[in-house]
Parts: sequence; C-alpha cells; structure tokens
Amino acid sequence: MWHATLRLLWDGVKANSGELLRDTLDMLVLKTLTRGAMHGYAIAEFIEETTEDVLRVEEGALYPALHRLELRGLVAAEWGMSENNRRARYYKLTAAGRKQLGAESARWDRVAAAVARIMEA
Amino acid sequence: MCAWRTNAWLRFKALIRRRAFDRDLEDEISFHLAMRERKQRSLGLGADAARYATHRRFGNVTLLKEDTREMRTFTLFETLCQDVCFAARTLRNSPAFLAVVVISLALGIGANSTIFSVLNAVLYRPLPYPQPDRLMAIWETESGRQNSAEPPAIADGADWRKQSHVFEDIALTSFTEDTPLAGEGRAEQARAQYVTPNFFHLLGVSPMFGRVFTASEAQDLTQTVVVSSPFWKRRFNGDPKVLGKTLKISGVLSTIVGVMPASFGSFFGDPLDLWVPIDADSARYSERKDHWLIAIGRLKPGAAQSQAQTEMNVIAHRLEQAWPATNKGVGAKVELFHDALYGGAGRYLYPLMGAVICVLLIACVNAANLLQARTETRRTEFAVRASLGACRRRLMRQLLVESGLLGLAGGALGVALTLGGIRIFRALAGDFPNADGVKVDVRVLLFTLAVSFATAILVGSAPAFQASRANLNLALREGERKTTAGKAGRRTRHILAVSEIALAMVLLVGAGLMINSVLRLQQVNPGFDPANVMNFEISLSEGAPYVERVPGGDIERATPLVAALYRQLLDKLAAVPGVESAGMITPFGFGYNFSVLGRPAPPPDKMPITGFREISPSLFGALKIPLEKGRYLNGFDVAGAPWSAVVNETFARRYFPHEDPIGRRLRLRFIDLDQKQPRQIVGVVGDVKLYLPERNPDPIVYVSYLQQDSDYRGGGILSHLAQTLMVRSAGSLASRAAGLTARVKKAVAELDPDQPVTRIMTMEQSLARSIGDAQFYARLLEIFAAIALLLAAIGIYGSMSYFVTERTHEIGIRVALGAQRGSILGMVTRLGLKLSLVGVAIGVALALGLTRVIAQFLFGVTATDPATFVEVGLGLLAIALVACYIPARRATRVDPMVALRHE
Repeated sequence: MWHATLRLLWDGVKANSGELLRDTLDMLVLKTLTRGAMHGYAIAEFIEETTEDVLRVEEGALYPALHRLELRGLVAAEWGMSENNRRARYYKLTAAGRKQLGAESARWDRVAAAVARIMEA
Repeated sequence: MCAWRTNAWLRFKALIRRRAFDRDLEDEISFHLAMRERKQRSLGLGADAARYATHRRFGNVTLLKEDTREMRTFTLFETLCQDVCFAARTLRNSPAFLAVVVISLALGIGANSTIFSVLNAVLYRPLPYPQPDRLMAIWETESGRQNSAEPPAIADGADWRKQSHVFEDIALTSFTEDTPLAGEGRAEQARAQYVTPNFFHLLGVSPMFGRVFTASEAQDLTQTVVVSSPFWKRRFNGDPKVLGKTLKISGVLSTIVGVMPASFGSFFGDPLDLWVPIDADSARYSERKDHWLIAIGRLKPGAAQSQAQTEMNVIAHRLEQAWPATNKGVGAKVELFHDALYGGAGRYLYPLMGAVICVLLIACVNAANLLQARTETRRTEFAVRASLGACRRRLMRQLLVESGLLGLAGGALGVALTLGGIRIFRALAGDFPNADGVKVDVRVLLFTLAVSFATAILVGSAPAFQASRANLNLALREGERKTTAGKAGRRTRHILAVSEIALAMVLLVGAGLMINSVLRLQQVNPGFDPANVMNFEISLSEGAPYVERVPGGDIERATPLVAALYRQLLDKLAAVPGVESAGMITPFGFGYNFSVLGRPAPPPDKMPITGFREISPSLFGALKIPLEKGRYLNGFDVAGAPWSAVVNETFARRYFPHEDPIGRRLRLRFIDLDQKQPRQIVGVVGDVKLYLPERNPDPIVYVSYLQQDSDYRGGGILSHLAQTLMVRSAGSLASRAAGLTARVKKAVAELDPDQPVTRIMTMEQSLARSIGDAQFYARLLEIFAAIALLLAAIGIYGSMSYFVTERTHEIGIRVALGAQRGSILGMVTRLGLKLSLVGVAIGVALALGLTRVIAQFLFGVTATDPATFVEVGLGLLAIALVACYIPARRATRVDPMVALRHE
C-alpha cells in the first residue's frame, strides 16, 4: 500500500511537476538525516536500500537538493573524513530542518490519505 | 530572517571564493562516484562496466554542477558584472557619443543638484538648533486682518512669556541691525542683533567662553554684550582676555561678557558681530507701540502647535481687554519658526527648480535621441546576439546597463558641475538668505544619485524596449535595414526632437521675459540725474552725545549737536574742490500720517499717510530734481522760520487733485505724536525713484533737517540720525571716486572721530543694486536657457544628421536622376523646419501656461508678452535651421556612385 502510493506519486510527478518532486525529495533527505550526519553517497544509499530500489533517484539530483537545503538553512554541512579515509562533505539536520520535516511529513500524510481514499472508493 | 542571512552569506562566500567552491563541489561529486564505483565492483562488475553503471546512475555531472553552482552564487550579479564590463567597452568605442551624452546629462543633473542644494539649505534642512521642530514664531495679527503677521509690541511679547504654559519659554529678537560702534580701535558700523536675555538658552546654544546674558542687563547707560566668533577674531585678534573689555555701542558703554562659537550666527548666515540685550519689561516699552522684535517660542516637549495657537488666542484676548487702546482686535498667530524664516523662499526657488527640471528633461531627450539612433544602427548586433540564444530580457538589461552607466557618469560629472554651480549661485545671489549654507551634503548627493538613476531609466527604456522586439529576420537581412529602419524608430526620434525644441522654447521665453524686465528696469527714468553722484551713509549713535532718553516712556530726544554736525558737514563738503554740490537725504522712508489744516480732521485711524523724508535743502540741486511748482527748500528754511515742506508730484496729485497745494498747511504725525508746528507746502517736485523696481511712486513730503522737533517716538528718530550724503562731482567719477571718498571720510572724522562712513558707492551702483533681484533671476534663467538652447541645437542637429545618413541611398538615387542641389537642401531643411515649427508651437502653448509662475519677478512686461514670444520663437527657429543646415549641406554632397554602390 505504502509503496504503491509512493510509486504512483513518483511516476505522476516525474512527468511535469518538478515542484512536487523536489519537495518530496527534500522531505526524504531530511527524514534520512534524522539518523545522524551523513554524506551524499550514504543518503542516496539509504533511500535506495530502504525503499528496496523502488525509489531510485538519479543520484546526481541529490546534490542540488542538498545545497538548496543548506541555503535554506535546513541542513548544515561540514567537511569530514569518510569511513575509508577520504574527504567527504557531511550533512546534518538543523533545528529549522527538523521543524520543516515535521510540517512536510504532516502534509505528506494528508496527501497520501486523500489519495488512498480515492483509490479505495 | 536568519535563514535568509545564512543564505546570503553562503552565496557571498561562494562569490568571492568561487574557485574554492568549484573545487569543493568537484571533490564531493568525485567522492560519490568513487564510492558508487567501488560498490559496483564489489557486486562483481568489471572496471569499465562499473564506471558506466555509476555514471548512468548519477546522471549528467556537468549539468548538475551547473545547477548547483547557479543556486549557490549570485548569478544575476555575475551577469550584471559582465554586462557592465561589456557596456563600458562598447561605450568606450564611441567616445563622441559618450561625451555628448554624458555632458548633456551632467549639465542637466548639475543644474538640478545646484538648485536642489539651495532648496535643501533653505527649505529642507532643519534649523541648526536642538529640536528645531519645537521652535515657533509668534506673530500679532492686526485688527481686522486675520492673515497679517506682524512683530508683536515688546511689552506684549513679555506678557505672552509670563502667561503662556504651552511654551517652555518665549524670547524676543531683532534681525541683524546696523549700529555705530566705537571704543578700543577704530569706529565702525557693527552688525548687532537685539535679543532678550533668554534668547540663547531658548535656542539651546552656549557660549564658547564667558557667559550669555543672565537677567536684565540692559540699562540706559551701561549694558553687557555677547560677541560673535568672527568679530572676536577680527576686532580683538582672538584675544582670550577679551572678557571685561568695553565697547561703545550707539553711545552705550558695553562690557563684553561672552564669545559665541563660530557655528552660531545670525538666522540667515549674514555677518553678525554682537548680541545686545533688551529688557522687555522696561518702562521704555510700556506704551506697546514698538513692533520691531520678533517672538520665538519653544514648545514644551509633547505640546502641539495647535495647542499653542489655542492658548495664544486666549492670551491675546486677555491682553485686548487689559490694553484696549493698543490691543483692540489684535490676535496672535503661531507658525513654525522654520517657515517664518524661509517659508517665502519657495516662491522664488520653485520656479527655478521647474526651469532646471526642464533643462534635465531636454538633456534626457537629447540622450534618448542619440541612444535611439545608436540602437538602430546596432540592430544587427542585437539580432545576432538574439539568434545565438541571448534572451530578450538579457538584451534589454544590456541596454539598460548601458544607459545606467551613462546616467551614473553624467551624475558624477554633474556633482562636479554642482560645486561650480553653487559658486556661481552664491556670486549671483548677493544677500540671499543662508547663501553660505548652500553646499553639497549627503542629501544633495542622494538626490543626485536618484536623479541619475531616474535619468538612466528615462533615457534607456525606449531603446531597450525596441531592441527587445527586434525582428530577427528583418534585421539580419542587411539590405532591408536602410529602407525599413523602422518607421516607429524614426517617429520616436522626431517626437523627441520636437519635444526638445518645445522645452527649450519654454525656458527661452522665461529667460527672455526676465531679460526684457531687466532692460526695462535699466531704462526706468529715476526722475533725477544719477551721473557723477556718489553716496555715503552716516548713522549717528542712538545715544550720547546725539540722543537723550526722556525718562518714563519711549521718547527719544535729539540734541542740537545733530543738526549742527549736518550743517558743518555740508559746508565742508561744498568747499571740497571738485564737488559741484552736496545734499543729503535720510535712507529711512517712514510712513507719516497727516492732516490738512482747514479741512475737517479725519479720525486718527483714518488719517491719510505719506512718505516722510528728512533732507538738506541742497539735495534738490545735487540730484537735479526738477521743480514743478513753487520753490525748492532753501537757506531761509531754518529753525526759527515758519516750517515748510516740498511735496512730490504724486502727493500733489493724490491729495490735492483739484486745487493748488502751494500755500496749504500740513500737520504731520508719527505714531500718535503730532509734530509741534504745521508745515506749509512751498513747492512741488518731480517723483524720484531711488529704488528702480518701485511700480507706483509713493507720495512724499520732503522737509529740512533744520526744521525738526527734538522729540521722536518709536524709533522715528532714526530718520533724523541716519543720512545718505549725495555728492555731485564736477566731472566723471571714474578717476575721482577714491579721492572724493577720502575727502568725505576726513570731513566726517574731523567732526566726530568715532563716526563711521558706510555704504560708499556711486548712485549708479546703488540704482543697479536695486534691480539686483531681477538681475539675479534673469542671470540664472539665462544660464539655464543657454544650456537648453545648446542641447536642443545638438538634438536637432543629431536628428537631421541621422536622417541624412539614413537616406544617403535615397538621396543618391535622386541625385542620379538629376535632382538639383537646391531641392536636396530643401528636402532636408523642410523636415527640420517642420519639426522646429511644431516644437515652437507646442513650446508657445506650454510657455503661455508656465511663465505665470515668474510673473512676480517681471517688470514692464506681462507673462504673455507677445513681443518676447515672437522674438524668442524666431531666434529658436533660426538656430534650429542652422543646426539642420550642416547635415543638409552634407546631403547635397552625396556622391550618387558611392551611395548606390552599397547595394
């Protein structure tokens, strides 16, 4: 059920409404970062593994999204060392980001519920 | 808010550390790719396959980098920088265009900033005292004239102060007055301000050292004074031990108690030497008839002007009941002190502001016209850029950036011109209020910047709009450009040229009217022969030894020394070799009431009024004033003889229209005090104008200085104490003025060494000075009109030149088909003439509506004077024709072969 709805939305918005797609991606990134600071690759990996590759983001799209979130003050970034000792940019959630995530997920719940009601009608 | 600031900071960082940012992004992405590739390989893919899969999953690396970078940086700012650099480069490539446009705009902007800085100094800048908005001027309104605003009687001012609760304090002050000064150094005419002791505290100023007046320190024979910083430096060489030194001011021994800082002077910035205390409660003013000090009140914090007005109405009513004789019907009016000082200046300045706005509009139109022509020749460039993918917004922005640069360059040069303009203004303005305060300050700079931007937008928007609509196909086909260069574009250029001429016409008419006024003023017949006459003023002290104060009132008594001094002085002057004759007349033209003996006496407030001038009988001869009837005053009209008077023509016509005035007797009266003896009219002389702009001469009674009462009331004694000596030289003054001046000074010093001689000038200079205002106005308008004319001529020249260039091909065909030189010349000048005529016609219509604002400065011409309109119109047409003739002649030289080969 959860996956079906997601896929539906995903496919639907991919076609034209970049806005919704972007907001959704932002929300997923923020949600992912609630687990702690991560670099871009780890975020992509996490989203793909958790959704069992249903949501396979074009990975590059993640970077404009991360920078956008940083500019909006929703995530903070700093350079650190990765697990294999390479320089990597780590992102973590800010207080504003946490608040934004709350608002986004509430909105998401409403949309999902609305769509679900139509599908079951 | 915070997020916004983070955002801006990050973007700013990215902007200045652009390379570092790019490297970081590169690192971040390559880290991702490396991690993914390793994962793919760990899933068992080969090296190439792993890289391929990685890139497929990642997407277009370059595009994503671009996206990210664009998001992070001020793209707008960067492209703007590119635009600015590009615009600067293109403009540099056409220096002539650049110079003409920038200089045009600078002239317009400079003229505006100059007049604005004057407005700023007198109207917009707050008064230089703490909390100036709480300072009010309080006036008396005369009985039956609610709109009048007169200085209050001094005792009324004192009562206001005691009774008011809305005002923190009320002080009385004069404006700057001349007063004779002696003691410790040479005698001079000092410039003094008479103030009540609370004056300084009320304005919120403190002395540089010493003290200000504490309480009433003005006695009849001694007083304290506070001196200004320039006076302290000039007269005492900045001596720090100046306190306690004494001066003799109008015969009163005055001890210096304080020196004010240089920043504090007179209200209008005119030179001021010292402040003299006034005791408003003195019995001297108890008659409530001295209206020569103005009242300034400081409102209590939080009190409103309307509250003050309400309270002052109540107080005025109370005074009316307490002093019915003087205060019946007298009200009070509260006005912002700033308005009281400068409110009238707007009337003079706003028409000038209008004129400079006109100049600026012409400059803008001129620049727009040139820019328009340039844009049209650059159509191919824009078309190429558009077809290479430049969006229209970018093209428009490019052009707006260009005009913005032009505007800013014009503004920068305009500021330099403003500095010069202010000097010219000060030189022309003479004693304009606060002329020294006119300077370029932050407000003027902001104004200039705003005007520059407005100009840029005004100038650049039309070409930018047109460029953005450029038709690619049309523009790229070179051949079509010549013929279809846009009817719209041509029409725009013609409209611009016409409006330039129309605006120039308005300014030229304004300047023409003023010049005509000045010419008429210079031709005014003064009613006497001013050639070879030199003026000197003496003003005897209003104290010992010439004046005694009669105790218990406002009566001053002149001692016989005054008349004796005048008699000896006139004798001495007459004996000076080279002096043909010497006379004198008081510079104070007081209004006297009079009654004619033998006619029913009118009630005191309905008595007729006349000008009163104390003179020496020799004045008529010295000035060669024509005698119309009877006789002049002469040597027999002395103190013991019956008093006589000579009246002017206007007096005779107005008050004795049907009878002979000779032999009639008048009783003169000044501020309710009758002269002791009646005066018999012995002669009628022609009207005299010592002040040329005077429209209708006043009736005047001339009387001899030898036949005067000794007692005067309310300052009336000034007309006895101050005299202008008018000395007629036997030959041209050019070589004799200096010698004559030395002789006169010596003669005065022999009689009273403490007596300064001032206002030394020839009669011709004095008359010229009396038309100074009109001349000042005419000069400024001349300057503005000259700029306007120059710009308009450049404008019409530019339009015609472009017209010829554009039609070279057509002209070539015409010439090839046998057109005569004359017909080509005619074709071009006809168009120029048509445009100029339309412009002049519109200009006339505009001027008819607009010149009314300068009607108040005109003399002898009306604001719609047909002669001026015709002269100016023809002049403008002639100049426009000259401006078209040059390009027209170029058109006749078009070589048909060259013109046609281009096809």
